Amino acid sequence: MSDFLLEFVEITQTIGDGLFFGTTYALIGIGFSLIFGAMRKLNMTYAAAALAGAYVGLAAFTFINAPAPVVFLISALASGLIGGAVYITCFRFIPINNHLAALMASIGALFFIDEIVVHTTDGSPLTFPALFDDVMFEMGPYGVRGDLLFVLAVNIVTTIGLLYVLYRTRLGLATRAVSQQDVAAQLCGIDVHRTNAITFVLAGLLGGIAGSMTASAVGVLSPLITVPLTVKGLIVSVIGGLGSIPGAIAAGLLVGGLENAFLYFRGVNERDMYVLLLLFVFLIFRPDGLFGSAIDRD
Amino acid sequence: MSYYLGLAQLIGIHTLLGLSAYVLMLTGQLSLGQAGFFAIGAYSAGILTVIFELPILPALLAAAVIAAFFAFLVGFPALRVKGLMLVVATIAFGEFVRLFFFNLSWRVPRGDIVVGPDSTNGFREIRYFVANGWSPWEITAFVWTFVILVMAALWWMDRSRAGAVLRAVGEDELATQSVGINLTAVKVTAMTAGGFIAGIGGALYAHTATYVDHLTFTVLLATFAVSYPILGGLSSVFGTLVAVVFIQGVLVEGLRFLGDWRNIVFGLLIIMAMNLKPSGLFDAHTTRLLKRAVGLGAQEKSDA
Repeated sequence: MSDFLLEFVEITQTIGDGLFFGTTYALIGIGFSLIFGAMRKLNMTYAAAALAGAYVGLAAFTFINAPAPVVFLISALASGLIGGAVYITCFRFIPINNHLAALMASIGALFFIDEIVVHTTDGSPLTFPALFDDVMFEMGPYGVRGDLLFVLAVNIVTTIGLLYVLYRTRLGLATRAVSQQDVAAQLCGIDVHRTNAITFVLAGLLGGIAGSMTASAVGVLSPLITVPLTVKGLIVSVIGGLGSIPGAIAAGLLVGGLENAFLYFRGVNERDMYVLLLLFVFLIFRPDGLFGSAIDRD
Repeated sequence: MSYYLGLAQLIGIHTLLGLSAYVLMLTGQLSLGQAGFFAIGAYSAGILTVIFELPILPALLAAAVIAAFFAFLVGFPALRVKGLMLVVATIAFGEFVRLFFFNLSWRVPRGDIVVGPDSTNGFREIRYFVANGWSPWEITAFVWTFVILVMAALWWMDRSRAGAVLRAVGEDELATQSVGINLTAVKVTAMTAGGFIAGIGGALYAHTATYVDHLTFTVLLATFAVSYPILGGLSSVFGTLVAVVFIQGVLVEGLRFLGDWRNIVFGLLIIMAMNLKPSGLFDAHTTRLLKRAVGLGAQEKSDA
């Protein structure tokens, strides 16, 4: 095979791996978008709660040697619980039109959760279990890591499950009603606080899955990934159009793929800088994101 | 004594950082990128005094101008979209700056040592004050000169038309726009002014600390920057100063026995403050109560 072809295979392989990983970013982006859609507010704690959930799952792995699927399940449930707690402490009792206060409170909660994680783990990275990490599928010149394929499958199933809940159940109908017009929803007899709380728990479950999938794809869980994951989740939801779920999916894949391309061409230290620049490219040329509507800009 | 002088310098520098966020918050916008402008000020001033061997004053002003320029650049695309999008954009900018300095290596030989930013190892040789024999008193006075100058300028601005325009944009954008005020121009100006002030703060920080690295300028620092004016309220610049003294002086120093657990308290404090007093600990109501408590209220009553 010629050098050019070899390099081409290598690049497409890298970008392909990135797309797999991008499904995790998509989940985090969807979580931000769900909450933004419901309350027109940013929940800065989201990614930290997702990773904290993964830590709870990891505790189950370390102390009672739970098998990987149970670890993932516990992660999701723990993160859902944390999501509900964040709603009560940072959003429930703060005046609905005070965006900054809720934002600040959730940043406070971000540092609170992050510090607890840092203190209980001494800040050192811990190994996280993965499924099928010894499997490797070969397709011609390309190889697909079994654990990444599993992550991809879980993320796709989770996304489909979420879309089902949102568009095919009464709960989803209530969530979408509150997100479109909360006053009208309230007049129809929907309990806005309850619906918002459920949205937070739902987003938390999603985050817990994304958090444990990130950890199992990377192999380790470290408090150092909290801020980068928060920033990338925010970037994904902005690039996709704040509040848009299809947008978050597309943007997650875009960011995941490009991230690995930057990694390939520019190295690990500079990778994240280009992802951040990508956000500014969108802010300048397409401020509403891929699928956002201009009305939702604020 | 030098411990308290160090604390006084820290409070002065954090006041500048808080005021840089205060200016923009008057227009109703929240920036979580102030740590980025602070970092630009710190590194630029350090590079100017260490590599280009400029005196401190021109280096500091140049650093402030450079930080202001980047604030202007970021302000334009970011303020086209408003509110929460600005928060995301400024966080991204702050992280970008941090990663930039994480990667920046610019080493030049000076005598028998090599100086300059050394990517992950930080920028270690910002010894202008030491090399020129400044005493801790002189350094503290130098820092507070800038704090007082900036506070005086903002206090004066608040009483001029410019202050009224900024607050008008913060109160009601639609009404302000309909009397013919260009919203984007006002916000970008506020952003630029904020960048300038953060640049001064960063330059002073780099020279008092003599060492900076990328880990100083995280989202946590940016959160401190906005939490000062939020806790202190937006009624005047003194609120920010009081909040800095309260957080850095009373809370951080007073809770030193908690060691590393202090940041947890900081997080909890923000959550509690936002739940109990969503518009700031020193909002209009509390300020009135405080004034009455110290006897200023009587004066107000006789005026009315």
